[in-house]
Amino acid sequence: MRFHTWRRIAWAYHLTFAAAVVWPVQSLLNTPDPFVLGLPFLMAWPAGWVLGSLLVLWRLDAARTRHLRAASTGGDE
Amino acid sequence: MEKSSLITVIILTYLAVTLGVGLVAGRRASRSVQGYVAGDRDFGLLVMYFITGATVFSAFAFLGGPGWAYSRGAAAFYILTYGVLGMAPWYAMGPRVAALGRRFGFVTQAQLLVGRFPSRGLSALMAILTLAAFVPYVTIQMRGAGIVIEAVTDGRIPLAAGAALAYAIVLVYVLSSGVSAVGWTNTFQGVFMLVIAWALGIYLPYRLYGGVGPMFEQILEARPELLSLPGLAGGGEPWSWGAYSTAILASAIGVTMWPHLFMKAYTARSDKIIRRTVILFPTFQLFLIPIFLIGFAGVLFPESPDQADFILPFLILRSDLPALVVGLFCAGALSASMSTGDALLHGAASVVVEDGVQPFRELSDSGQRLLIRILVVAVGGVAYLFALVEGFSLVDLLLASYGIICQYMPAMVAALYWRRATTAGVVSGLLAGSAVSVFFFLMPELKPLGMHEGILGLIVHIPVLLTVSLRGTPQEDEHVEGYLNV
Repeated sequence: MRFHTWRRIAWAYHLTFAAAVVWPVQSLLNTPDPFVLGLPFLMAWPAGWVLGSLLVLWRLDAARTRHLRAASTGGDE
Repeated sequence: MEKSSLITVIILTYLAVTLGVGLVAGRRASRSVQGYVAGDRDFGLLVMYFITGATVFSAFAFLGGPGWAYSRGAAAFYILTYGVLGMAPWYAMGPRVAALGRRFGFVTQAQLLVGRFPSRGLSALMAILTLAAFVPYVTIQMRGAGIVIEAVTDGRIPLAAGAALAYAIVLVYVLSSGVSAVGWTNTFQGVFMLVIAWALGIYLPYRLYGGVGPMFEQILEARPELLSLPGLAGGGEPWSWGAYSTAILASAIGVTMWPHLFMKAYTARSDKIIRRTVILFPTFQLFLIPIFLIGFAGVLFPESPDQADFILPFLILRSDLPALVVGLFCAGALSASMSTGDALLHGAASVVVEDGVQPFRELSDSGQRLLIRILVVAVGGVAYLFALVEGFSLVDLLLASYGIICQYMPAMVAALYWRRATTAGVVSGLLAGSAVSVFFFLMPELKPLGMHEGILGLIVHIPVLLTVSLRGTPQEDEHVEGYLNV
């Protein structure tokens, strides 16, 4: 995918992340069940978003590197 | 050897090694102000990664985190989310700040703002606000160090003496070598903290409850209110959703605006390193999971400490762990408090000299270095006095300083991205936002929906910034281009 697409995905992801961990979304998901790897759901939920952020940012950076390489060789990515 | 003396030996060895690493690193940096404040702009990925992680995760995380999980339950989860939310925009902003730093030779955050919005008053205002936000933050670290030492020595070395000892060491290496000592010691301490936190976070629930899942099941049975958001407030009554949600937002907005973190953008060797640090940041955030597990492990423990912030050392000393583990843990918690403390002291002093004094009275290179050193001692002294006052939690202190720090964000975004922003707009926005934030900090009972004072400040700040800027004369194109076109 292109760098600009990934940049949009990264913005959208983190805005959704912000909305997902505050009121009112978080208050609808305020339950200890199911347990995820021993953690109650309401703790695993924010932890999952943090983990997802790692993946999104990593893909964004990979796309950026490809984009720069393509730009420097004059070809399309 | 007796257990307590073995623990003391481990801690002393650790402190000696930290001191050694700091002093050796200091010899490599040049003696100019650029070398002292910005580390000759030459930090690699490894150092940048740990410097950021170790500065963000301080005594606040190591002691305050478990303290909150223990006493306020799910309320602590706010800490899990805000760091990543706050750091992600830095992927775009950080390299921009770094480029402007190289272009104009900035070493502080205020220099960038004042470069775009020329005003000596703005520079002085930033110096004052920064100092006001830093003192409680340094206080947290000192109390943290004191708490660990008092707990471990069973009160033989009281908080006051322990805090003084740990900070005497921090002073020695900050005074002798500036930021490069901060960088190398943080690398060392960062690795250390990660290992200790994960080891203990998994070990304690297994030891006390037979596993992480069984621990939460037992807590759910006995204290279900702890495992329901937004958790409990300081007095044990339920916390409000307004307070929980705005604590996340204010902290996320403020996190990259801490001058000691912001200024790290100037020290990175390349933009790639700044971006990689942002990408790796969630790995540091996940380290809060074992930290919370340690706090939850204390919930059903038969005894309880006097103050929630003592829960971690309290537990570890009562769980029949070998002296080696206890000693290493204490070293980890000390390192957490010291590594943030040194960056804070250094940051606060540099900011006051560069932004509060330099614009008004030109100092020589050696004069600046001398004044930075005097201020490091002075700020440390003031924070030490506050650290002796009892009766507040470490997390509360940090949340309070975010009220001021998050007011920097609109000004910084305007400086980097908004063509129409004016000096008058930025200054009046900052003044209005900080005033509102301080007002609600002093009058917490007036806060609507229990919202964080920083967010209330921003609600006033942003409209003021926009209105005053749009009504004023735009800045010259040529000047603005220098900042927007990077």
